[in-house]
Amino acid sequence: MGVGRDVTRPLRITVDHRCCVGNAQCVNLAGGVFRHNANVQSEVFDPAGAPEAVILKAARFCPTGAIRVEDATTGQVLFP
Amino acid sequence: MSHDPEDLFAPEVIADPYRYFGHLRDTDPIHWNARSELWVITGYDDLVWLVRHPELFSSAVIHSDQRPPYPPIDPADRGLFDEVRHFRADQLVEQDRPAHPPMREAVHEYFTPVAMETWRPFVRAAVAELLEARHSALDARHSALGARRSGGGGRMDVLEAVAAPLPVRIIAEMMGVPNEDREHLRGLADKLLYINRGEPDRMRPLMEGIRGMMAYVEPKVGLRADHPRNDFISVLAAAEKDGVFTRHQVLVNTALLLFAGHETTMNLICNGTLALLRHPEQWAKLCADPVNLARLATEECLRYDPPVKSTQRIAATDVERHGKQIKKGDRIRWIMASANRDPRIFPDPDRFDVSRSPNPHVSFGSGIHYCLGASLARIEGQEVFRALAERLPDLRLDTDRFEYQPSIQFRSLKSLPVAWG
Repeated sequence: MGVGRDVTRPLRITVDHRCCVGNAQCVNLAGGVFRHNANVQSEVFDPAGAPEAVILKAARFCPTGAIRVEDATTGQVLFP
Repeated sequence: MSHDPEDLFAPEVIADPYRYFGHLRDTDPIHWNARSELWVITGYDDLVWLVRHPELFSSAVIHSDQRPPYPPIDPADRGLFDEVRHFRADQLVEQDRPAHPPMREAVHEYFTPVAMETWRPFVRAAVAELLEARHSALDARHSALGARRSGGGGRMDVLEAVAAPLPVRIIAEMMGVPNEDREHLRGLADKLLYINRGEPDRMRPLMEGIRGMMAYVEPKVGLRADHPRNDFISVLAAAEKDGVFTRHQVLVNTALLLFAGHETTMNLICNGTLALLRHPEQWAKLCADPVNLARLATEECLRYDPPVKSTQRIAATDVERHGKQIKKGDRIRWIMASANRDPRIFPDPDRFDVSRSPNPHVSFGSGIHYCLGASLARIEGQEVFRALAERLPDLRLDTDRFEYQPSIQFRSLKSLPVAWG
């Protein structure tokens, strides 16, 4: 687990609370990154809490497209 | 106007659910309906709270609720009802945690926004084909009668011409159903529609549809498990191999995808077209820029007159909300139709505005059971409304009588005659 963390690039992950419906796909897939707040909407508590591929899958699985993933260093948009 | 105010099936409530449930939302948003013995939840915040707390409100309604069905059925069909219950209890929409997440995950990938976007060209072509078939049928009739085409004018029933055949065609393609089986599937789909009807003898056609569907799908599941293709039977078959679904669950959920995507899409297309044509200035606005406005216009159609008016839960525990004591086992009906018109969320909520934004309607629900087919429904709505605006900008209603199926759940027009030219 820890090995992957050191070599992967830092990510900036945001959840748009105007769209998030608490479908929990992201929480189920990447529970080390996303959790639900009191309103049962997703929030990021550790952007390095899962491998990048899993985070991108979680973003893709969001039924309302509420998750945006960027390379934190370059600003390159990785999803959508 | 002397009906029992607790009668959720009164003709006035079926005709205009907005007035009835809007009044409840404004006066008693968590209301005990003694006649149907259920809680009626009508406000936006309460509805969102309810559906986002599956630990308090179970989705296993059919499994848990031992009371007889409402509206009532023929007593002789009680055995069929038990068979329907056995079938429906295995539906994805009936599952709670911990069974639900792995099942949802197995089918979810097929329906993500990105995956569904690849279907847009197919949807667009199917819409064009249905509308053109309508034109050529009219042309043929005109020449047979020796009539001249009057500037390309005509009439159609939106339900029969587009709204009913489109979703079945799309789902047939997603199931990998060959062309020669399409009519058979349509026939089964029409029988499955009885799941949401109120006729006392509805169990017979419904069970015929269910049995026919299971018989049709069963031989395909084994084939797809060994030779997967790009269809959702393959997805379900793979999940069976992985131990996520039983064979019965695979069959039940294939049938579920057919009827969950059928009447809902029909209603989106009919109710949306009706709203657009009843607001000529909004229709003109869409016609002026269909490519860019189709997306927001579809969201507003979903909000303003949603395909599903309400759905249900059952309390998993005792819970208090705004001083009301909901008891474990109580039935809950939550009303999207009134939540979508909640003035605390939507400015000027009774106004139909094709450019409304933001538009956080709850027509697809919310929480862990948020509609699996939402992205597909959106694409179907966008493509139909765009095609109608581009091809038939002078479209108008051809009736002033609008009749709805007497369902508490679905907002289903019986027909929608329109004319153009």
